[in-house]
Amino acid sequence: VSTATDQLTNLVDAPDRFDHSAAELRQTQLAALNERFGERRDSIKLLGHRAREAGVTEIGSMAGVVPLLFPHTAYKSYPESFLTEERWDRLTKWLGTISPHPISPLSAADISGVDDWIDQLQARGHYVSCSSGTTGKSALLIASDRDMAWSRKDTVNVFTWGSGVKPEQDRRIFGLAPVASVPKNTVVAEAQLAAFGDPTKERFRLPIPPITVGSLTAMVVLRKKIADGTALPDELAAFDRTSAQRQVAVDDAMIAAAEALIEHREEKLYLAGLWNALYQVAGMVRDRGYSGKDFHPDNCLYVGGGLKRAQLPPDYQQFVHQTFNIPADRDFQNYSMQELNSGMPKCQRGDRYHVPPWVVPFVLDEGGDTLLPHESGEIEGRAAFFDLSLDGRWGGIITGDKISLDIAPCACGAPSPSIRNNIVRYADLQGDDKIGCAGTVDAYVRGLS
Amino acid sequence: MTVTDALDTAVSAPFFLRGELLEGQSAVHRSRDLGVDFTTPALALDRVVHPRTEVPPLLNVPLDEIIDFLVETGERIRDPRNIFVQECIELMTATHVLPSAVLHEQVMGAAAYLDKRLLHTVVEQNFPDPRALDEWVPKQDFTGRKSFVRAFAPRLIHVLPGNSPGVAVKSIAQGAMVKAINLFKMSSSDPFTTVAILRTMAEIDPNHAIVKSMSAVYWRGGDDTVERVLYRPQYFDKIVAWGGGDAINNVIKYLGPGFQLVSFDPKTSISMVGKEAFASEDALDAAAELAAGDVMVLNQEACVASRFLYVEANESDADRFCERLHARIVAKAAASGDTRPLDRDLREEIDSLMMLDDEFGVWGSTDGKGLVIRSEEPVDFHPINKTANVVRVDSLDDAVRYVNVATQTVGFSPAERMPEYRDRLASGGAQRIVRLGDAGPSTIGNPHDAMYPLHRFVHWMAHEDGVASPAGA
Repeated sequence: VSTATDQLTNLVDAPDRFDHSAAELRQTQLAALNERFGERRDSIKLLGHRAREAGVTEIGSMAGVVPLLFPHTAYKSYPESFLTEERWDRLTKWLGTISPHPISPLSAADISGVDDWIDQLQARGHYVSCSSGTTGKSALLIASDRDMAWSRKDTVNVFTWGSGVKPEQDRRIFGLAPVASVPKNTVVAEAQLAAFGDPTKERFRLPIPPITVGSLTAMVVLRKKIADGTALPDELAAFDRTSAQRQVAVDDAMIAAAEALIEHREEKLYLAGLWNALYQVAGMVRDRGYSGKDFHPDNCLYVGGGLKRAQLPPDYQQFVHQTFNIPADRDFQNYSMQELNSGMPKCQRGDRYHVPPWVVPFVLDEGGDTLLPHESGEIEGRAAFFDLSLDGRWGGIITGDKISLDIAPCACGAPSPSIRNNIVRYADLQGDDKIGCAGTVDAYVRGLS
Repeated sequence: MTVTDALDTAVSAPFFLRGELLEGQSAVHRSRDLGVDFTTPALALDRVVHPRTEVPPLLNVPLDEIIDFLVETGERIRDPRNIFVQECIELMTATHVLPSAVLHEQVMGAAAYLDKRLLHTVVEQNFPDPRALDEWVPKQDFTGRKSFVRAFAPRLIHVLPGNSPGVAVKSIAQGAMVKAINLFKMSSSDPFTTVAILRTMAEIDPNHAIVKSMSAVYWRGGDDTVERVLYRPQYFDKIVAWGGGDAINNVIKYLGPGFQLVSFDPKTSISMVGKEAFASEDALDAAAELAAGDVMVLNQEACVASRFLYVEANESDADRFCERLHARIVAKAAASGDTRPLDRDLREEIDSLMMLDDEFGVWGSTDGKGLVIRSEEPVDFHPINKTANVVRVDSLDDAVRYVNVATQTVGFSPAERMPEYRDRLASGGAQRIVRLGDAGPSTIGNPHDAMYPLHRFVHWMAHEDGVASPAGA
């Protein structure tokens, strides 16, 4: 029998998947949410706890899901000492409270570090990705084989729909982002390469060592030691030297990227990166006397993530597009986050991010406690989603983003719910004006952010 | 939201500029804590600075007269007919996290600071010779060189905190006693108290030099268009700032020769409970009651409020302590009518610990009615809003390593063991050690934040007066 969840996730390859309106999907989505809840309430310990506290036994309406959505911070709620003191058995146990699939115990003695812990979990079919938290804790997101397979498919579909580029294996791929080597990023990069890369042309990768979770958490560990007062000056000096060396390596790698781009400028290119790196490398290409006219007119650009608080001039996107001769109708952008498994591509004509049928969008009040009434048109508030495709963890997430969601058809013609291209993080909205005498040692740790 | 929309719902927060009330609704601001809007007049920058060509108005007003004025201010604050204070508490209830009864008690408690003996004691503790505030005090060193020294009236900006309205009263009194020209930058969670007190003062005598030395305004902390202009040594000598993180980082940008920071740092307070607390049921009840009192100072919004309690016990004894502590925190929370729910992020962290129940003990739930967590080392998060973290230790010696540069008050039991620990606590960074249950009160005039603040506020000025003729010459 086909479940409601299957009905929705089976649309993954459907060319008309964005042709379903919110009203048309509502009943199926509600049924699917109930299926998901029924399957997971006993297997995800945190979900069971949440449901008991809220007294939820069944989902009768969209508003009824809200108490069961996890804030994005749920994935960084592990005690940090489990990580900093390498208590892998404990960290595994914590992971078990958010995973629906049982995790067989690992022998802590056989684990040499966080990267090894992640590798050993992966060997057992648990894929742990980590968000590179700018300060403090990283989110640890667990996923399953099914999720990895879904990401492979979804990322290609999203890019094709959003950019109009067909997966015809006819491009030289340039990977220009120093991104963390976590399973989710690796799978996406592999899938993009297989779909769009010319198998006879070697992919360009930044010539730097992979950024492992271990190297990211080294900073977290050091920060904790500074706060505790146990870090010694030589240790800080060594950390600074390593950071400086890494920066030099990244800068050199960018030069190598610019030179390789110039070398291959007449080929059809696929550039992948983050805006900051793309902007930097575009500047180098211009400095060397090359610009749009020198590049292939059918190039494309895959951008992941937002600005990550990088300070760039207002016309940075235009600058990158023009440098690499990216056609105007190839302005690809995707709204997603590590916590979700699916992407929401931006359309060209309406300039809006489209929500696929297997992702249920919710607009909550700023506090994230209440579903805002939404019968028609566009409303603004805190974004929450339920990604029905997620298998290895709970699909419901409350984000830190402020969005405007419209349930009327978009100017591009697609009737699916869509999100205006003006997403901001609540955290970035207001300067922190509140001060008090009570505070934490965080205010006494300088230079690690 | 547009200005016109906000005006219908926003409360109005007037400014006070050297004796004059300035009302207006030119700007709409947001109070972060409760998401309420308030309106203020436009900031008249020229009116908040006092030209250096004119000596400060309070310079030659005797300290005794200043203290008398402050004492009368205190009486008027406590007077139930004082319309300014009543209004202020009502308005604050709309923008502050604390319930109105707690706020009322705060303001009344702060007014008790305006006591003649108390204020004299504060001055005497801060200055070896308080006459230096009133006059040029003659000195002579052992070589015969003579001089006069004056604790000269400074120009101060006070960046006030938002968590304790009582600080407004204290800051006004301290600013007045050092005869400063004072600019109070109010916080978004309390843009009212300072002005209410200054209005009360202006009612006593609108032309008094104290009133002419005080201004209270609001701008959003970190607003460069204001701070770049005002934070200069040509206008002010010192900036007296509370808090850490962004609040202080914004200020630090402007420090330089002639413009110094006196910082009241963000602090965490803790408790240490020795094994003696488990000697009997009565001893345990007593320790739990005292500890709960320290946790619940200002419903745990204050820096002196305990957050981490190191308990010298085995796990089952620690759990007995937790159970009793929890019951008392819940009772105190209920009595104050404070049922604010915990922040979402804090709820997440605590829920996670509840899942790991083979390692952590949790008493209560995340409903904001009071919560105790027992662990083997301090939790990652900052316990706030009636949340106590009991950390079990084999010996209080093991707790000393958790004292750090952010530690303020250590509530200690039993009192007899305090001398054994105080040197190590100070070395770790702590600033006060008190008997358990005694976190709130302190000896009048004692150092705060490891300094005598009034001594740092003033502009120490020397008048060298040559060498005395040798005796018998």
